[in-house]
Amino acid sequence: MQELLGRISALDPRASLSLRVIACFDELIVGNVNTRALLSAAASLAGCNAGFSQQLPPRAMRVTTKGAIVPGPFSPAAGSSVCEGGVTAWLERDGAQHVNDAIILERLLLALRLRHGHGRRDSDHRRELGLLLDTEAPIADRHTVASRLNLSLTGRYRVLAAPLFAVWHSHPTCVEDVVATPYGSIHALVVPESHDPVDASPCGIGLPTGVDKLDRSFRTAIVALRLCLPPHTPVVTADTYGALIGLLADLPDRAAVPDLDALDSVMAHPWGPATVDVLIQAGSVRQAARLAGVHHSTLQTRVDTITEIIGFDPLDGLGRSRLGTAYLCWRLRNSRVLDLPPPTGGRSGGD
Amino acid sequence: MTTTARPGFDPELKAGLAIVGGVFPPTITPDLIAFMRKSYASPPIADTLRRRGIVRRDEVIAGHHGDAIEVSVLTPAQANGPRPCVLFLHSGGLIFGDRFSGADLVLDWVDQLGTVLVAVEYRLAPEFPDPVPREDCYAAAEWVAASAEHLGVRPDRLFVAGASSGGGLAAGLALAARDRGGPHLCGQVLDYPMLDDRGLTRSTHQFDGIGVWDRVSNETGWTALLGDARGGADVSPYAAPARATDLRGLPPAFIDVGSAEIFRDEAIAYADAIWNAGGDAELHVWPGGFHAFDIFAPHTVLAQGMIRTRNAWVEKILVD
Repeated sequence: MQELLGRISALDPRASLSLRVIACFDELIVGNVNTRALLSAAASLAGCNAGFSQQLPPRAMRVTTKGAIVPGPFSPAAGSSVCEGGVTAWLERDGAQHVNDAIILERLLLALRLRHGHGRRDSDHRRELGLLLDTEAPIADRHTVASRLNLSLTGRYRVLAAPLFAVWHSHPTCVEDVVATPYGSIHALVVPESHDPVDASPCGIGLPTGVDKLDRSFRTAIVALRLCLPPHTPVVTADTYGALIGLLADLPDRAAVPDLDALDSVMAHPWGPATVDVLIQAGSVRQAARLAGVHHSTLQTRVDTITEIIGFDPLDGLGRSRLGTAYLCWRLRNSRVLDLPPPTGGRSGGD
Repeated sequence: MTTTARPGFDPELKAGLAIVGGVFPPTITPDLIAFMRKSYASPPIADTLRRRGIVRRDEVIAGHHGDAIEVSVLTPAQANGPRPCVLFLHSGGLIFGDRFSGADLVLDWVDQLGTVLVAVEYRLAPEFPDPVPREDCYAAAEWVAASAEHLGVRPDRLFVAGASSGGGLAAGLALAARDRGGPHLCGQVLDYPMLDDRGLTRSTHQFDGIGVWDRVSNETGWTALLGDARGGADVSPYAAPARATDLRGLPPAFIDVGSAEIFRDEAIAYADAIWNAGGDAELHVWPGGFHAFDIFAPHTVLAQGMIRTRNAWVEKILVD
């Protein structure tokens, strides 16, 4: 995979290889793979042998880039090994270190320690953001973690959520990690409430909360992220949707939503998504027609069709809220923003 | 979110996808062909061959309609006497890749099993639609058979191997060689072969937007090759071997495929059809494997198993 990493950076020098390495080890950890698989992934990513040893019980293993075991002991050089809690991991690198060596070793050691039963809570600070964003984690533990991460217990913060492949034009300096969610591995960052707007695509910005509600900020950030439509809407801030964002964050993915099936039928029309979108934004049929760039009577015909399908007037009283809510649910269910897009440069860089 | 039931990826492979996705997006539309030709170009071959002790000679031969195409003849440095020979047809969905794409795995046959390997630079769609790619391959097979003495190969130990689109071309070549009385093949290795332009199987629809090579990518490849004829009544079984109705009299086939890829069902169906026709096929379905996982993640336990199993079959068929 070292060769693949080389190709990614040749195709797109801005691509974040370290996040891909992190995501790779995250999947290995989630998949609970064994020591040999961890070492072969590290060796394959680095392009040289990888090894590990531990003191108690004494054990060591060396693996090639092709996943084969290498017999014999090895004394790792200080520069290409990491050691923590009696576990040492190393890369058998000839010559100068490569740019990804440090992140590969860091993640390898973390994965080895988890595999070998060293808990996440004893000394491992790097993974603690996941705990802070975990609804199930006890508040006292979250406070401990927040303190270790230098987050103020009285401060207010927002969680940013982005896919691993998001493009960052400026990257906040803050607490960040890759966190497993039902939508896959999400890059989570915690910034102060008053942080400058982020320049990333796509990225969801969660509601501001205190440290013991950051799990909720994270969930609203994921909803906001799933409402992004890059390149037109690269960033969505949860605040935009007020109380709705909290309801959406609490809504189970497969929950039956009244009006949604009917809206599906509307959206099946070629004009459906664009028309509903302008109806949500506009105050009148005339304004909606202007936004959509169609004749007033054309839009009125569509509104009549919509009314017939959904069974209520989408421009009248509660009808507006019902349509708006159903529309947001529809967008979440049909969101493709977390699908890995074509590699950057794919559409512009071909020759 | 889709609710399609589908087998999950093997954990090691799923981790690999975090890297693979950076060069090989799951969904390849026609506007990505130019990008894929860059991202899937094979790395420089010379170093690889030197390290392995393999000698390479490039030749220009007559392809379809006599047009010049290039092939590379790879020979073990210590070759003595006529060797078995494999015609290698590369992967790349019929629209990208070059003759050394994914070749690292078949080079084991050269330096470990002592075969000669001929890698064919068949021309790619959409610039060269059907029948150009497959007829380039057929012409290369005829050239090898006719040049056996010159190449130092045994004409009775010629076999064809290909991965993905190359697997489909290899299967088509075996059908064509049988029907036209062409070169005698002693085996066909069809790695996760691209056999069916119709896109009707269940597995074709199970992996939209995930893994490597989804339904849309497959439509992109087949449409580039066949244009409007894709999925219609007039597609040759030499182009889409899943359409063959007579699978009698074919060389022994080795077919492998992942359970978590769109070609699963067509690979299984092809092996089944060969058995039903009284033929010889060995089929392996690797659990949780995405398309071409042995090329992208050869360090994983699943890929090692796939490679070992395939090499053992090749050794059984070829080595005296």
